[in-house]
Amino acid sequence: MKPLLASVAALCLLAGSGPAFADIKIGVIAGMSGPGTSYGIGIQQGAEMAIKEINDAGGIGGQKLQLVVVDDASNPAQSVTAMQSLVSQGVDLVVGGWGSSQVLANMEVSERAGVPYVVVGATNPHITSDKNKWTFRVIQTDSLMAEQIAQSATGVLKMKRIAVINDSNDYGVGNRDIFIAALKTAGMQPVEVESYQSSDKDFTSQLARIRAAEPDGLAIFGTIPAAPAIMNQARDFGITARFIGTGGLANEALISLAPQASEGAVLTTYFSEDVDAEGKAWADRYVKAFSEGSQTPRPVLAAWEYRTIKFIVAPCLAKNGVDKTKMRECIASFKGKIFGLPGEASFDKTGQLEQQPVLVEVHKGSFRGFKAN
Amino acid sequence: MFAQILIGGIATGCIYAIVGLGFTLVYRAMRMVNFAQGQIFMAGTFLGLAIANRFALPAAPLIIVVGALAFVIGLIVEKLVFRRLYHNHEVFVVGSIGLGIVLTNAVRILFPEPVPFPKVFGTGIFTFGGAFVQVAYVWVVALTLVLVASLHALFTYTKTGRALRAVAADREMASAMGVDVRRSIAQTFGLSFAVAAIAGVLIGPLYFVSADMGDMVGMKAFSAAVFGGINSIPGTILGGVIIGLLETLTGGYVSSAYKDLVPFVVLLLMLIARPNGLLGRETPVKV
Amino acid sequence: MRNSATLLAIGLLLVVPLAAPPYLLHIATFIAIYTLPVIGLGFLTGFTNRISLAQGAIFGLGAYTTALLTTKCGWSPAATFIPSILVAVVVATILAGPAMRLAGLYFVMATIAIHQIVWILLMNWIDLTNGPQGVRSIPPLGIGSLNLDSPLAFYYAAFAAALVSFALARRILASRLGLQLRALSEDELASAMSGVPVVRAKVTALALSAAWAGAGGFLYAHYIRFVHPDMFTLEPSILFLTMAMFGGYRSLIGMVIATAVLESATEYLRPFGEFRMIAYGLILMLGMMFFPKGILTISPAALSRWLAGARPAARKA
Repeated sequence: MKPLLASVAALCLLAGSGPAFADIKIGVIAGMSGPGTSYGIGIQQGAEMAIKEINDAGGIGGQKLQLVVVDDASNPAQSVTAMQSLVSQGVDLVVGGWGSSQVLANMEVSERAGVPYVVVGATNPHITSDKNKWTFRVIQTDSLMAEQIAQSATGVLKMKRIAVINDSNDYGVGNRDIFIAALKTAGMQPVEVESYQSSDKDFTSQLARIRAAEPDGLAIFGTIPAAPAIMNQARDFGITARFIGTGGLANEALISLAPQASEGAVLTTYFSEDVDAEGKAWADRYVKAFSEGSQTPRPVLAAWEYRTIKFIVAPCLAKNGVDKTKMRECIASFKGKIFGLPGEASFDKTGQLEQQPVLVEVHKGSFRGFKAN
Repeated sequence: MFAQILIGGIATGCIYAIVGLGFTLVYRAMRMVNFAQGQIFMAGTFLGLAIANRFALPAAPLIIVVGALAFVIGLIVEKLVFRRLYHNHEVFVVGSIGLGIVLTNAVRILFPEPVPFPKVFGTGIFTFGGAFVQVAYVWVVALTLVLVASLHALFTYTKTGRALRAVAADREMASAMGVDVRRSIAQTFGLSFAVAAIAGVLIGPLYFVSADMGDMVGMKAFSAAVFGGINSIPGTILGGVIIGLLETLTGGYVSSAYKDLVPFVVLLLMLIARPNGLLGRETPVKV
Repeated sequence: MRNSATLLAIGLLLVVPLAAPPYLLHIATFIAIYTLPVIGLGFLTGFTNRISLAQGAIFGLGAYTTALLTTKCGWSPAATFIPSILVAVVVATILAGPAMRLAGLYFVMATIAIHQIVWILLMNWIDLTNGPQGVRSIPPLGIGSLNLDSPLAFYYAAFAAALVSFALARRILASRLGLQLRALSEDELASAMSGVPVVRAKVTALALSAAWAGAGGFLYAHYIRFVHPDMFTLEPSILFLTMAMFGGYRSLIGMVIATAVLESATEYLRPFGEFRMIAYGLILMLGMMFFPKGILTISPAALSRWLAGARPAARKA
């Protein structure tokens, strides 16, 4: 039989070998198909924008940057294969990644291969740990966000009776646990804790118990579309508590899906145009550049991808070239100002970019920077 | 509290019931399970959305227009795709799963984010026995009853319906009696598409519509259909309502983490104990 | 002649990877791993005429067993091989065993329920499984002081496992049990009359299929070194079933080839971008529409018979 098997193997051989020459290769991995499509495309656009600007200005040390994009279909198993293909194509580093379960799976490959990997689109706290050698992350973690929103709730928002409802996936559970722990240090217990499944449509039983607990603040830890549905149903049920939440909710779709109910909600977010003028100018430029595409431009992850390449990766390449060990050391020692972030940012020893949190508020149908009067 | 859970459960159950009807109609005629049914329901919802956004139709005409369009689409898809899958049930299972994947991902390209559906049933709310009830829930329950009544009337009083029933009961016999079996099967698919799209228009306004909305609902509706008896229309409705209630009660009194487990545990137990389902009549046990 | 061709192919699969880029090695490793659950399905589908949509979940049980035993209880990876298979077999037999008496389509329904039950438990039984955090840092496979840390070493391990499982499957097919199973697939009633213990044979086929899936899951966990419930959704179940169907169920070789073709197909489809999953769905749909008896029917019947080694993969409609 097996000649056929062998020819299949040979076929595989042919399919995988791409062009083996380039100047500096930057790998981008994300879900360009499957549930993460719109985020993945945002990440890709951010990278395209940064690389075009750098190349138009003459590249780095005379070398051009080349983008190598792979799609992981928003699926953890395929993500491993996708990362392997980037490593095989000899990328000098990887900037990207969407979805925590995908990144947790694919970072095992880049760690083993010794390729620097800066994660922009996954927030699970477990991604950055002492065990990592090559993995960094620029986006805020769930834990920081949940802690910050807990401090704001008990602090500036002066909430006294906080109820919690969370998605029972990793995102919701992770946020909830840290939030409750942070409340505890402030000497407070949530008045009610409920959970739901991402696919739920009807939240009546959870909301009925929450209503009975008479909260003045309702923390929602989950994602779109369940979160706006909960907001709508909560208001329908006569729950008047102010909504608070973390980055999973800080998405324009929240407002389009819960136009009235989301009003006044206070959230931590990954990127806000309102922090400084430079951020605003960038976002306008980005939306203009990509408004022709098949997807509405989404600045949040594009901003992280763009800023990572422009402010963290490019200076390191200019300083040390493509040497991977030097690249890792250079990224780890980054410290500086990045637009859209209040104050300076730098990496901690687990590879997490430490930064000031950004709070936004839904005000008259759009997000604006939250100011504690 | 209990009243609130009960109302939520019945509304959820009716949704499972109507989506489950799509499985039942095809199964009765073909002895096959169309695993794309959940995605057909999803696509039907988007069809409803496209029409509702273009023409400001009130609820009743919207449902009729969407149902009729979906019926025609069902006839076409049967001719183009399903007809080539009747080989055996394995082929049909995998082929229909493939169709489901195509539908989900095609819609996802057009609508990457969930979108709101026009509130064609209004946004009213009233209290009943200490519980809040959305007016849209009343519509869901009422339309489930209307749908079952019209299906019953169709199968009992019309010539087409009687032909469909004859094919469902015994295809060879029906063919011998001069029924155009091929046409009846096509009409059955048309009907299953229509029912799925109507379910979509009912559910759309309650929630949002998104490309993956059919996955879990489809699975649970399938459980409901088998639980009640996948060859029985009243059984499917009963199965849907019972599963909806059990699930919401579990969520309310036991744990919302495990409430999704309920339909599937119930399904497995029912299959082992009484594969016909509550109201089904057939002998699915071999040897 | 056939023997020398076989040896040549095995030789190629042993030597070529030495020069292959890691990415291809990686796909080849996946193919080798997936061969196991697919052969497992062959036992069930080929010999009891029942198809299962739970194979991905059983595969996941094997993966989770070794993941949890090695990370939480500190077992050495090699020691968890047997437990991984056992857990898969025991759970599959308890859940699906009673359903084996159901006719074909009703059995499919039962396996869907089983799949969902396993997946929901993996996701929600957080104390045991870590739930949606997944299990990280699964140690690499090692035997004594030999550590299969490098992709090449793991490829050889997976290839050896696939080869052994393949040979073992052939042995089982040729054994008395295999004959009973074949008789069963021809006509349950007749084999019951002729003294084949039908129920026991069917449950044995189920247990075999779970054992192969559990072993595959074991390899998978130690290769990716991270497991997450979302790796074991209905998607791999559909993939395994499709691989077995395209291969024509009863031909082991056919299933191995189909596994190789389909697994690398998901890679060829990568350039389709956002349309990739649509293309994948179309492959399933059109494949079933036009090649309902498996892709081997594309080639002339004689060739397929030669390839299959035994009889052609004909099935009752």
